[in-house]
Amino acid sequence: MTGVVVGIGNEYREDDGVGLVVAEQIQRRDLPDVRVVSTDGEPSRMIEAWAGADVAVVIDAARLADPNPGRVHRILVDDLPGHVSPASSHGLGVPEAVELARALDRLPGRLVLYTVEVQKTGFGVGLSDPVAAAVPGLVDAVLRELAGPPCLE
Amino acid sequence: MSHRSTSRRLRVSALTRVEGEGGLHIAVHDGKVTSVELNIYEPPRFFEAFLRGRGYTEPPDITARVCGICPVAYQMSACQAIEDACGVHVGGQLAALRRLLYCGEWIESHALHIYLLHAPDFLGLPDAIALAERDRATLERGLSLKKAGNAIMELVGGRSIHPINVRLGGFYRLPAKAELAGLTEQLRRALDEAIATARWASTFEFPDATIDHELLSLRDPGRYPIDTGTLVSSSGLDFSPAEYLDHVTELQVPHSTALHATLDGGRYLVGPLARYAMNAKWLSPTAREVATDIGLGGRCRNPHRSILVRAVETVYAIDEALRIIAEYEPPEIAAVDVSPRAGTGHGVTEAPRGLLYHRYRIDTDGTIEDAVIVPPTAQNQPAIEDDLRRLVSISLHLDDHELAHRCERAIRNYDPCISCSAHFLDLTVDRT
Repeated sequence: MTGVVVGIGNEYREDDGVGLVVAEQIQRRDLPDVRVVSTDGEPSRMIEAWAGADVAVVIDAARLADPNPGRVHRILVDDLPGHVSPASSHGLGVPEAVELARALDRLPGRLVLYTVEVQKTGFGVGLSDPVAAAVPGLVDAVLRELAGPPCLE
Repeated sequence: MSHRSTSRRLRVSALTRVEGEGGLHIAVHDGKVTSVELNIYEPPRFFEAFLRGRGYTEPPDITARVCGICPVAYQMSACQAIEDACGVHVGGQLAALRRLLYCGEWIESHALHIYLLHAPDFLGLPDAIALAERDRATLERGLSLKKAGNAIMELVGGRSIHPINVRLGGFYRLPAKAELAGLTEQLRRALDEAIATARWASTFEFPDATIDHELLSLRDPGRYPIDTGTLVSSSGLDFSPAEYLDHVTELQVPHSTALHATLDGGRYLVGPLARYAMNAKWLSPTAREVATDIGLGGRCRNPHRSILVRAVETVYAIDEALRIIAEYEPPEIAAVDVSPRAGTGHGVTEAPRGLLYHRYRIDTDGTIEDAVIVPPTAQNQPAIEDDLRRLVSISLHLDDHELAHRCERAIRNYDPCISCSAHFLDLTVDRT
């Protein structure tokens, strides 16, 4: 089984770097048949990264109006908000990449998205405490996803 | 009943299909546009502060993180500026490899903008997903073209985003001749795809628009400007990179974290339209022929047609990459020595979306005392706002939705790198 881990974010935008931190920790484990990609979220790169993989796990930051920093959401691709209307979309991102991949038949066998609610996203390096505290649990979760789908999925 | 006394405000809080985040605020009062404010959150100010006190070898790597779409531009302008401060000139095959890497970025960035961001505007489609659904083969062509650019960036730059193989004086590792030759077949295919792209884009219907902004670009006699050259403008200015800040002044405006730049006090434009107008004769024969075929002429003053210029520049970048690869002989050393010395250096290169200027002042042991970065979008912002002001003035009869759409189109013409590049998923959480 081939797996792909895609960390999305910007290490110079504080908590936005959480996806990259998780990806880096997975990379250090040097797992067989697992490719780790860090990206800024540009859709065609994400599609290229996960096309043909049995399982892809994407980790991204999520900004909410009323956040609970560090809270993690697990989203299966089919649960993503549908075709994002151009009037409300924030540029290009994961939903667009998923829709584009779907139209091009380039979705991986299974695609799971982990999002982490963030606290601060100004210019700067380093994660806030609650977001940093979520990293070990996220790494474990990603490793479990790579090992196989949960029984009740 | 008259609309004349009504006040109308239009806010497009998150611009669609421009890189990163941005917002547009237009105010109309008594049938007149009273303000047009493009809010752009640009990171260079942060990076300028972040770089102070760091080592002189660090800016190429650190500034590459400013933008996921044009990291090579940041690396090249940074290297050039610091090498200038240290009195080092990088030439020969090392310079050719740098240009090759930069070609990869042009191909990638232009293909992304043409297919995923700009073309849907001319096809009456909401986005690239709709384009993929309607005409999959065309979108696949765009992605294949983009991939050819990625392939160059991966081989020469070490990886396609935030290349890690670039250093002061050259590279960490040089590609072997055979490795570069391995790209030839893919690039030949990409050349056909780029030519097909230009022909396809030339069939679009372009709204009428004529700009009168001053145009500023590099000029590098004998070849189309990418990584080196001096500055020339449509009004006849001609100056060296060291004189950049004598002509270009950045002003803080309250509505944007980006500084607004002026050229000798006036608005001006950098990027494909400027490069093409000032340098069309230096395109490769194939690129020139394509430009003629698709009716571009010697200059292009309609910003909607910038998609055609990007397509021609893509043809050129592939042609140029093929030429560099064919002539490549690995240099003896991967990087020339760059020893620190006290001084100030300037670097300016043509990022896909326009001129990117860096200036560094370093002390004797190489500590950075001061950094200035002038990105393309800050330079184009007054021109974009001027276009928007004109557009809105003649479009007030449209409802807000259609007006917002036209404004977004006008902004996308310039491929603005609203490059804070923080990406967030708009998440809906149902709580019961």
